[in-house]
Amino acid sequence: MKGNEMPDVNLAMRVRDLGDGVRIIDIEGEITAFCEEVIVDAHQRAGDGARVVALNFLDLDYMNSGGIGLLVTTLIRAQRQGHQLVAFGLNDHYREIFSLTRLDEAISIYADEEDFLASL
Amino acid sequence: MRERLFGRNGALMAIFTRSMKENQPAAPSTEALADSSIEIPAGDALEAVLLDAGGPVDLSENRVDSPAARSLRESGVELVVPLISRGELIGTLNLGHRRSDQPYSTDDRRLLTDLSSQVAPAIRVAQLVHEQQAAASERERIEQELQVASLIQQTLLPKELPDVPGWEIDAFYRPARAVGGDFYDCLALPDGRLGLVIGDVTDKGVPAALVMATCRSTLRAAVERSDDPGVVLADVNEVLVPEIPARMFVTCLYMILDPDSGKVTFANAGHNLPYVRTSSGVIELRATGMPLGLMPGSDYEVHTAMIEPGDIVLLSSDGIVEAHNPSGEMYGFARMIGRIGAIAPDGDLIDDLVTDLDSYAGFEAEQEDDVTLVSVRRLSSARDAARAFVDEPEVLASFSVPSVLGNEREVMDRMTAGLGKLLPQEQLLRLQTAVVETAMNAIEHGNRGDPELLVDVEVKRYRRRLEVAVTDHGGPRGEIDAETPDIEAKLAGDQSPRGWGLFLIEQMVDEMETTAHGDDFTVTLTMRLKGGA
Repeated sequence: MKGNEMPDVNLAMRVRDLGDGVRIIDIEGEITAFCEEVIVDAHQRAGDGARVVALNFLDLDYMNSGGIGLLVTTLIRAQRQGHQLVAFGLNDHYREIFSLTRLDEAISIYADEEDFLASL
Repeated sequence: MRERLFGRNGALMAIFTRSMKENQPAAPSTEALADSSIEIPAGDALEAVLLDAGGPVDLSENRVDSPAARSLRESGVELVVPLISRGELIGTLNLGHRRSDQPYSTDDRRLLTDLSSQVAPAIRVAQLVHEQQAAASERERIEQELQVASLIQQTLLPKELPDVPGWEIDAFYRPARAVGGDFYDCLALPDGRLGLVIGDVTDKGVPAALVMATCRSTLRAAVERSDDPGVVLADVNEVLVPEIPARMFVTCLYMILDPDSGKVTFANAGHNLPYVRTSSGVIELRATGMPLGLMPGSDYEVHTAMIEPGDIVLLSSDGIVEAHNPSGEMYGFARMIGRIGAIAPDGDLIDDLVTDLDSYAGFEAEQEDDVTLVSVRRLSSARDAARAFVDEPEVLASFSVPSVLGNEREVMDRMTAGLGKLLPQEQLLRLQTAVVETAMNAIEHGNRGDPELLVDVEVKRYRRRLEVAVTDHGGPRGEIDAETPDIEAKLAGDQSPRGWGLFLIEQMVDEMETTAHGDDFTVTLTMRLKGGA
């Protein structure tokens, strides 16, 4: 890419600690290749000493292939750190994408937060 | 629902809650006695007594005589405390004889009345939660069943229709939400002849889809054995009769077309008649016979007709004629025949009928039944043939954006605006994802992020498909990562975590084609419109 133009990053990630090594990352906005910093930062905060980290996609507006690439990177980090990465709140379209890319084989998917909490 | 508690002073106490669903039969009396859980059916005289009592009812004092009261007395219940919520008897607290052999005191009864007034709302809430959960899981089950049914059906419908010189064959299929049992098929027969099938299974959902699948494969097998449409239908009938579930049957019309002569030979198993638009008006192709699967030994007479140049044959299912408008009137055969007769020589009959149906039923209305249409047009001359095959597109959007990453969002938004409500939401989301990825590739790989270079986007609507062409001008491309992404290889570090773009594009659209002209590189994405071919 020429110049230093970077599209605006429109992504917020909030980490909730539910105790007992369970963390939830609430995602709000768009996940593209430019969100690396936000994702790495959130995952660092959530992953430290975690048993399971859940990505909450309920307020995801948009995700493209660059974003999927970042999820794969995050998944690799989670495996190295030895915690489980799961997801919930995906709509039908992104669920299909998770299934096509077979990301759903590596990341357990739950319908919603309640469903995830029930699995613990 | 029954729970046993030990009450004060050692009396055996049990809480009974009533089934709140209307018309639910009471538990059989023998079983009820066996576990002493006694239903008080709606309308039982004891119900009125309990609703009026305002507190415990002593069955040894009260003389009410009803099946429920008798059953309770027989199982040793002495005191019945009604549980009432919002004027409804939702259950009872049943107490047996006091172990001390003393009668229940006024204090006991007051305590029980207090207890019941607190227990009743709690039980009602629990019942409501239980009912809601049951309803939700039932909805989920129905939804899954619908998906299975629609998958079976759509998998078995022809993916494309044959190209027959001098003829134009077209089909339309749009399932109802509940997925009826419509199907159609196109079979290549020896000597260039063509077999056309249209049918409708009387039922919906998975059972209908399974019968449809059986019928389709049986028919395909029967066609191998006989040239005679009557024999084919009779054969299928004999196979289906013992197989088909009770009260289900299949209406089906089978027609063989000889494209050289224009002769059609057909037989009918109770299906809607085909119509032919001829130069002298619309005619019916009459043929009758019993639906398939109804009774063994059914005969199907064979009829023939000539399809002249310029004629159009229409095969249809009930979905169109039995559609209703908001005032409850049926679309009907007369209206359909009117549309067939009025179609211009080069008009698109299926398009015309579907558009008319949608405006009749109301665009927002939920479709009642599957709609299936198959049209067979005999072209009138070579010139007509050439013209008929020209599918002139309508340009829905045409624009360019500079090659700056992030602009793929603008591409998506402008394309979406151009489409209006052309695509159903699910298809739209898929196309959006594919277009975003294609635009990103054009910006990043094609034009190499040079803002001076534009990415051109053109959205065109053809008769049965939508095309989105994305062109970059960056000249020969650098290597695109053409490796099929594999999640395991990526997790193992054998592949880059990225490289999903092309894969996603291919998965999201019906077709993807690339062309190169000089410095221009175009990716064309195709989405088929509507159901069917």
